[in-house]
Amino acid sequence: MSSQLQCTLRLSGTEAYNLTSEKRFLMIGERTNVAGSPRFAKLVRAGDLEAAVEVARQQVENGADVIDICFDDGLIDGKEMMTRFLQLLQGEPDVARVPIMVDSSKWEILEAGLKCLQGKGIVNSISLKGGEQEFKQQARHIMRYGAAVVVMAFDEKGQAATYEEKIRICERAYKVLVDEVGFNPCDIIFDPNILTVATGIEEHNNYALDFIRATEWIKNNLPGARVSGGVSNISFSFRGNNVVREAMHSAFLYHAGKAGMDMGIVNAGMLEVYDQIPEDLLERVEDVLLNRRDDATERLLDFAERFKGQGGKQLEEDLSWREGTVEERLEHALLKGIDKFIEEDTEEALAKYGRPLKVIEGPLMTGMGVVGDLFGEGKMFLPQVVKSARVMKKSVAWLTPHMEAEKAEFLAGDIEKVKADNPGISDDEALRRAERQRSAGRFVIATVKGDVHDIGKNIVGVVLSCNGFEVTDLGVMVPCDKILDTAEQIGADVIGLSGLITPSLDEMLHVAKEMERRGFKQPLLIGGATTSAAHTAIKISEHYSGPVVHVLDASRSVPVTTSLLSEDQRDSFVKDNFEKQQKLRDNFNTGPKRETLRLEEARTAAPRYEWHQSDIASPKFTGVREVPHFDLRELARYIDWTPFFHTWQLRGVWDRENKVLKTRNEQGAQQAAELYRDALKWIDYIIENKRFSAKGTFGFFAANSDGDDIVIWEDEYREVEKARLHTLRQQIRKDSGKPNLALADWVAPQPLQDFIGGFVVGIHGADHLAAEVEKRNDPYGAIMVKALADRFAEAFAELLHHRARVVWGIETEDDLTVDELIHENYRGIRPAPGYPAQPDHTEKPILFDLLNARESTGVHLTESCAMHPGAAVCGLYFSHPDSHYFAISDLQKDQIEDYARRKGITIEECEKWLGPWLGY
Amino acid sequence: MPQPDCTAELTQALAERILMLDGAMGTTIREYGLDEAAARGKRFANAPKDLLNNGDILSLTKPEVITDIHQRFFIAGSDISETNTFSATSIAQSEFFLEDPRESGGRKDQEFFQKIIENPQLIELAHDLNVASAKLCREAADRCANDTGRARYVAGAIGPMTVSLSNSPDANDPGFRVVNFDQVLEAYKAQVRALIQGGCDLLMIETIFDSLNAKAAAVAVQEVFEEDSQRLPVILSAAVGRGGETMISAQKVEAFWNAFAHLKPLAVGLNCSLGPDLMHGHLEELATCATTHVSCYPNAGLPNPLAPTGFDLEAGDMAKFMGEFADQGLLNIAGGCCGNTPDHIAAIAKALEGKAPRQAPRYQTPTVVES
Repeated sequence: MSSQLQCTLRLSGTEAYNLTSEKRFLMIGERTNVAGSPRFAKLVRAGDLEAAVEVARQQVENGADVIDICFDDGLIDGKEMMTRFLQLLQGEPDVARVPIMVDSSKWEILEAGLKCLQGKGIVNSISLKGGEQEFKQQARHIMRYGAAVVVMAFDEKGQAATYEEKIRICERAYKVLVDEVGFNPCDIIFDPNILTVATGIEEHNNYALDFIRATEWIKNNLPGARVSGGVSNISFSFRGNNVVREAMHSAFLYHAGKAGMDMGIVNAGMLEVYDQIPEDLLERVEDVLLNRRDDATERLLDFAERFKGQGGKQLEEDLSWREGTVEERLEHALLKGIDKFIEEDTEEALAKYGRPLKVIEGPLMTGMGVVGDLFGEGKMFLPQVVKSARVMKKSVAWLTPHMEAEKAEFLAGDIEKVKADNPGISDDEALRRAERQRSAGRFVIATVKGDVHDIGKNIVGVVLSCNGFEVTDLGVMVPCDKILDTAEQIGADVIGLSGLITPSLDEMLHVAKEMERRGFKQPLLIGGATTSAAHTAIKISEHYSGPVVHVLDASRSVPVTTSLLSEDQRDSFVKDNFEKQQKLRDNFNTGPKRETLRLEEARTAAPRYEWHQSDIASPKFTGVREVPHFDLRELARYIDWTPFFHTWQLRGVWDRENKVLKTRNEQGAQQAAELYRDALKWIDYIIENKRFSAKGTFGFFAANSDGDDIVIWEDEYREVEKARLHTLRQQIRKDSGKPNLALADWVAPQPLQDFIGGFVVGIHGADHLAAEVEKRNDPYGAIMVKALADRFAEAFAELLHHRARVVWGIETEDDLTVDELIHENYRGIRPAPGYPAQPDHTEKPILFDLLNARESTGVHLTESCAMHPGAAVCGLYFSHPDSHYFAISDLQKDQIEDYARRKGITIEECEKWLGPWLGY
Repeated sequence: MPQPDCTAELTQALAERILMLDGAMGTTIREYGLDEAAARGKRFANAPKDLLNNGDILSLTKPEVITDIHQRFFIAGSDISETNTFSATSIAQSEFFLEDPRESGGRKDQEFFQKIIENPQLIELAHDLNVASAKLCREAADRCANDTGRARYVAGAIGPMTVSLSNSPDANDPGFRVVNFDQVLEAYKAQVRALIQGGCDLLMIETIFDSLNAKAAAVAVQEVFEEDSQRLPVILSAAVGRGGETMISAQKVEAFWNAFAHLKPLAVGLNCSLGPDLMHGHLEELATCATTHVSCYPNAGLPNPLAPTGFDLEAGDMAKFMGEFADQGLLNIAGGCCGNTPDHIAAIAKALEGKAPRQAPRYQTPTVVES
């Protein structure tokens, strides 16, 4: 059996509204009607549509189920305004939610309104005034657009005033609509004319009662039909006397409602609660409405004198959110898309944060982050996000002059600096470069060639431009060259590609390759429905050496772009992004098989370098240098804290300058702050009591590649082999002529004179201290000690690498800041055996022997080639300018056979050590 | 040739079983590995822009591929196949043939689109695409019906267009629209007429991202029916996001039904944008409020550029989900959108075999309302 649903008036905006029997009354907001609201009329006439839209929002906030929109005013082009206003409302998610009542006495305006309603609205109104023919035609038209209709009790002879006229006309209209036109009876709403009472004219005295009785008749005789009316008409004689008017409205609604009136055009803010009308007033009001006494009008008029000029109830919006902190208020405004207070709040935030940029990167970005999260969870929708972006824009716009002023101040200094750095530079050029350094960021965005979808991309453009970026939108089907040419011309800071269809993925790949070929360095953003973080990581990023970031949705484009262009955040963001992508690549690598090359083929695909002796860096010494006791105090300065917090499951990026963990999670940031304070205390304790010691060693050796091996010579004569390192080559088939790498590629073959370095560092004392702390029942302290030892070891490795590069002559002492060091912005790499570029841990003993590391550093290798103590790092140094980290995977049998032969071990042993990286 | 109104016939069939739609046209075309030259054929050899991703023109340049796809879906068990006309309107096609005014510093606005809907070449192209596509599908349907003795139907696909009537692309002017209702209406009317002329049995307004665009399509259908004294069953299908709102105009499922119930469609449903798992709750909501048949053809999961079809779910996965939907009484018409191959459709058809169709709720006869 199929279930049954009530046959009832069913409407919609973006949400459904069903007038089911448990709903007592449908409230129609009337403040957006120029006839009902002089203020609204004034706003519209003055062209202040922003404020007019605000009126609509207030109506909905005040509980209107449907809003009545009317522009019947001599000074307004009703048709055009109806279209424009309804289109504006569609952009207001809070308003677009409710069904719209399109209200006009002109058919062409009603028609224009119908063309703007995605939901099921109500047309207000049609009638038999122009004859049956026209009435039917209009009804058919409305039916075709899927709207309900208000039918006024009018006919060819005029307005129905009395009970008899009202029911006669309504019955006739009902029959025409239902029987002849085929209109759904549940979509018919009668307005049997609420006419003004207490006018002093005797015939008017029964108007309220006539309406109430007609309502009762319609509800009992015309199945499905509803009754509505413009309630404020009833009290027109008491204009200016809100107390009386509100009482009249409430009392009238009470009685008409009992008779079956379903809805009314009522100012929801101008209603008294029926029970709260003072008894004496109520009695006089009801005498008038129900026509109970001949002198009812005079008595009410007399009584009304005492209330004249009193305000009555005022429209109130819920402003309780204004009581929060400035951060909370900004977030609320962004979430709700309210721009009314944004300027004062922004001003307050500026006072609190000091610099405009801090306000943007602080509370505003936090708010947009929340918006982004909600959007991602499907709890906010595009129109709302765009709305939020608009509020953001207003705030940024307010901050702009302050930023300009700040900029001008800095600019002067910058010009001096540019001139000092570039002697002989022209004034204009110095200004240009200085400006360039200060620019907010230029963004080129395009839907790639072959794809025409651009709605998502447009939203990204809107959101970004709202956030102060200079966006150049190249449109759809944009060829690669055009994107890159434009990016060069305007000096883009970021390039964004969008696409919805699957083939676009290949085109994005093509653009990435071209960027690489043409030597671009800018970040590349990838977005659109078929793209994914995994695809970006696995397929696209490997073709471009600049940052390639997948942007999940429009709202993410702002935080991503801001981070990429922020001096403070860029490096850690790029590093984080790289790490995330590495994880995805690793997951993928352990997933389904990929096409591989035979070892000979892979070797043919090795990078080919034209070696010149003059390009090869020679270290200031060869042999080993020990670092028996490194100053922990100095190491502490070089600690990269972000991974430290990751150890504690606190995600985020450590802001070195302000010493805060940047994270969405406020509690997380608080915890991080506490953790950091404790860590500093522990560091002090450790250093003062010499609980840790840092021992390291590093060295340089004459070396040459020999196929995929690296030969280390006894001395510079390069005749006697001291040791041999073995490297593994990538065997994945790569499109686009990308090379198949092995670490050996970055060491020159004979007869060139190349070098390689190596290092081991270890932090001692952590295990002992941790055990001691553990015994005191302080597991927190124990973890802390070990986590800090790890951080010291990493800092030591980084600092030692820096020293090694100085020795090698590829860096000077002061080239890099601490931040740059931490983020590895330098030439050369220090890969460790057992890590992605050379996953074979058994290369470690060779390194340790070379450096005599066990004796000098106290770090030794376990059976499985793990280092002990655990807080230790080792690796090789490569100085080749192309050298970078990469990953080995899917090793094939032919390489394993070759590798085992080279190392002089059995294939089985080799397979045991390289198990996870085998591709067969 | 225009077909007779098969509403009664379909209604009868729908009372007995769940009818099968087809799978994805766009993602299936990709299996054929066509290149730009093949897509252009002779007719478009000199077209200024790339056309490989303009799947609709393959009905003119590679008709054998389109016929083959229809045939494979019918053999896989589709009762209804959709014509290859997702973008066969002058407005949608203009993207592939006209220079984007933004390239020369202009903008897309109503003036621009007015020229498009009046452009004789685009009008002719849209007409040819619809007629030819409908004929290809018709032939495949008739052949399969003859071979198997089971009626097969052609549904004229009416896609969402690449422009929105509900959304402003201009941040500074939320009231701005690149097109107006009348322009979209006119383009859709031309498509509807040509689809009918090509021999469609039904019309499907589908992948509805923006309900106002769909409303224009619905008005177009009704106006053509009235002007040409013609009537075909209509199916409406919305593409909703995770929250259950039409992707662009953010209309919730029941609101959508309320807005289109007046069309008395043969079916209303959901397709594209989500896989069956994420679509489930929204389908349930629709099945509860819609007093007509419910159709459902989800994507094969979410886009996954690393999977062979570009989507997550394989034939067996889709069959499992759709079988569960049927068991829960949610289905009258089923099929697959993006990522669903003939194998998927065969698996779904098999899973749905013998399962009872959903019983639609009905509205009570209106009576006088108790006061």
